[in-house]
Amino acid sequence: MTNEVAIELTLGELSLDELTALTRHAEATDLDLVVLTGEDALLDPWTTAVWLAGRTERIRIATGRPGSPLPAVAAKALASAEALSGGRVLVADPAFVRLPARSTDDVDGHAPAVHAARRERRLAHRRPGIAYDDLPASLAATAVEPGDPAYRGASSTYLRGGSPGLVLRPRSATEVAHAVAFARGHRDLPLGVRSGGHGVSGRSTNDGGLVVDVGALDEVEVIDEEHHLVRIGPGARWKDVAAVLDGHGWAIGSGDYGGVGVGGLATAGGIGFLSRKHGLTIDQLRAVELVLADGSRVRASREERPDLFWAVRGAGANLGIVTAFEFEASEVDLVGWAQLVVVVSDLADGLRRFGEVASGAPRDTTVFLVTGRPQRDQAVLQLYGMVESADPEVVIERLTPFAEIGALARQQVVLARYADVMAIAADVGPEGHRGYGEPVTRSAYAPRLTPELAADTAALLDTGLVHFFQLRTMGGAIADVPADATAFAHRTPDFQVTAMGADRTGLDAAWDALAPHFDGLYLSFETDPRPERLHDAFPPPTLARLREIKRRYDPENLFRDNFNIDPQEGPHD
Amino acid sequence: MTDYGHDLLFGTFVTPSAQGAGHVLDLAVAADRAGLDLVTFQDHPYQSAFLDTWTLLAYAAARTERIHLAGNVLNLPLRPPALLARAAASLDVLSGGRLELGLGSGAFWDGIEAMGGRRLTPAEGVRALREGIGVIREVWDTDTKGGVHHRGEFYTVDGAKRGPRPAHEIGIWVGAYKPKMLELTGAVADGWLPSMSYLPDGADSLPGLNARIDDAAVAAGRAPRDVRRLLNFMDAGPASSADWAEQLADLALTHGISGFIVGGDDLATTERLAAEVAPAVREIVSKER
Ligand SMILES: Cc1cc2nc3c(=O)[nH]c(=O)nc-3n(C[C@H](O)[C@H](O)[C@H](O)COP(=O)(O)OP(=O)(O)OC[C@H]3O[C@@H](n4cnc5c(N)ncnc54)[C@H](O)[C@@H]3O)c2cc1C
Repeated sequence: MTNEVAIELTLGELSLDELTALTRHAEATDLDLVVLTGEDALLDPWTTAVWLAGRTERIRIATGRPGSPLPAVAAKALASAEALSGGRVLVADPAFVRLPARSTDDVDGHAPAVHAARRERRLAHRRPGIAYDDLPASLAATAVEPGDPAYRGASSTYLRGGSPGLVLRPRSATEVAHAVAFARGHRDLPLGVRSGGHGVSGRSTNDGGLVVDVGALDEVEVIDEEHHLVRIGPGARWKDVAAVLDGHGWAIGSGDYGGVGVGGLATAGGIGFLSRKHGLTIDQLRAVELVLADGSRVRASREERPDLFWAVRGAGANLGIVTAFEFEASEVDLVGWAQLVVVVSDLADGLRRFGEVASGAPRDTTVFLVTGRPQRDQAVLQLYGMVESADPEVVIERLTPFAEIGALARQQVVLARYADVMAIAADVGPEGHRGYGEPVTRSAYAPRLTPELAADTAALLDTGLVHFFQLRTMGGAIADVPADATAFAHRTPDFQVTAMGADRTGLDAAWDALAPHFDGLYLSFETDPRPERLHDAFPPPTLARLREIKRRYDPENLFRDNFNIDPQEGPHD
Repeated sequence: MTDYGHDLLFGTFVTPSAQGAGHVLDLAVAADRAGLDLVTFQDHPYQSAFLDTWTLLAYAAARTERIHLAGNVLNLPLRPPALLARAAASLDVLSGGRLELGLGSGAFWDGIEAMGGRRLTPAEGVRALREGIGVIREVWDTDTKGGVHHRGEFYTVDGAKRGPRPAHEIGIWVGAYKPKMLELTGAVADGWLPSMSYLPDGADSLPGLNARIDDAAVAAGRAPRDVRRLLNFMDAGPASSADWAEQLADLALTHGISGFIVGGDDLATTERLAAEVAPAVREIVSKER
């Protein structure tokens, strides 16, 4: 492995302005590493390094370990700097080759040597088993490998850190087919498929494998004004979709967060603020185009390959890479958008009452709930949701029962466009995602929010094992669709339930104990790796049919990063 | 009626969520752009879901231009004072005088111990904070010759270099509720930074608590107005900005609160606080003063 070459800046030797200017100049000269030295200078090196990272975009800043005598505090500072800067603050490695600079001329003089070393190092960072040099030129132009400056942002997702050996970023369906062909040649390595990178169950990053990131396929185009038909690339974010459709007075319900990508959500379900009135996101889907495991590009709809179309709506991740979705959008006028904070003294009772009110509400009203560990004999319920009505009186009437669940600590209710609500989500910046670690979550469907479930949930939250607990209200139009109409079979529960924690073993044990209250799970929020979960996601008839379809379309099991249905398992006919 | 006559500060209280680092920064940048005076972050290093607050302060300072930043409040038991002083002075220099130092004596001792910190009784925690503030001021005092030498009950500093010299007078703001902490606040701090939801009787607690700080300040030969009074609110106030402004103005005029720090982690609240509430409070207060 060749050593990294760094520009060395010495604190105390340079003024503050020079320090910033030289770092920025190095960045502009396409150098990618600065080392700050001068431990006995007055300025604290760690604080200065983090500050310089904040004042730049791409360059990495290395320095000594954070100044704390407590190793746990120093380790946390490092992990945090990594998360904040997209991996651009690091501890200087004694093996770095340091080229001292005091002026921009010095930096310019060092640039050729740094660039040559980088070319060598890129080769050295390659992971085994990947035929990097066989990549077609079209894919090579946008691919990112571990030695590349863009790697940190391309290797992690919203909730996960990762270290893939190669991230392919195709720009067209043809290039996606090339990427799939390349992946087929690497069948023994992990393969992740990524659209918006907000996967929870979907492992859209990995260690040492390939990622096909279709984020560049992000077009949103109206193809039939009269029938409200819209063609959307998997890489679009739901906030972008909402913004385009808003110009036509339309909307397609997605989830509660506009930053989520189209590809992952529209192949799994899509439980959102408009679902009770218009159905799941997949219920608005009219056709998809996808690249199959054999590299062929096909279209699926009710008429063409209806079996595939059935399977994509709920288990799409198993069947191919969707390169375009065609949806029928609904006309949606102004909506009432509400954020209420309600404080209750008895959490179980609060949950039970929320259950009654939320599932008893008319279809135009969808309210979700978030809460955490109750404190000092009181629990804070955050309720947020939509009333699909432009009439303030209707909005108030619909929301009043929610506000009466406990003491109303805060309320914000406005008439808004659906697109405004989606726009609340933050953009992913130029540095890409910054997730690290692995999310610890569980998911379930609650047929009803019974008093027993409410009591057991309150007891669970008291333990502190769950710091984020969420109820997504279902019912209404979701349940109008028969269980066998799509691979999303759990049509009749009142709620989708999500719990996030930090302790995998503890959360799993506690959540398993709640099983009697539940019937199945929504795969999108489930990260338990145990194989039984597949049977919770897909009831027996659905799973049997999916496996049969999987055997035909992906017999070698190339697509397996998200609730994988192994074609080899299960009965063969 | 108590009013210490300080100009009013408005700011936000942002959860330093590790999973949502991007959103945390967005909230800080939004507060800066909206023209708020302060963005602050709680500090619980033992809480795995949170970022390291010191590192966050440095990064957020670099991403913002005008706003002042503070820990709300920094955990002194896990941040030895001489190092913290140097880091704080550095960040003040780097940011052009935009750092304030919120400090606490530590509350969650299990967590502190788990991170390698030393468990103290509450009374020891208060003494350690007072001693720590002394060390911090020593390090910042670059006019005195020679290094910092300190041998105290909790901290030992052997000839540490002084400086760097802060770019402005960094305010030391203390999160205090109990009598001993309030006394310390009056005696040595530049500001008091409690949270409304932890006051036993809400705003009705303020006169009694203020009085303790005032008495301690006077006893230490200072004036009550040497200690700015700030207050954290976990969530936005009433939906009507006018109502919210009335509430805050009342706290300013009746209880001398001159810093209003609002949580909720919500961009809309940040913007409303800056655009609607802060100007209205300032107008009411300036009329009444
Ligand atoms: C903050 C947040 C809020 C959420 N809220 C909701 C909600 O309200 N309702 C709801 O239903 N869900 C919600 N989700 C879950 C979300 O729908 C899933 O995590 C979804 O997979 C994210 O899609 P993505 O494209 O951004 O993710 P990615 O990480 O890009 O993909 C996730 C997985 O989807 C599959 N996939 C991605 N692209 C394609 C493609 N083009 N073709 C085939 N398979 C593909 C892959 O298996 C991949 O691993 C939320 C998630 C987050 C993080």
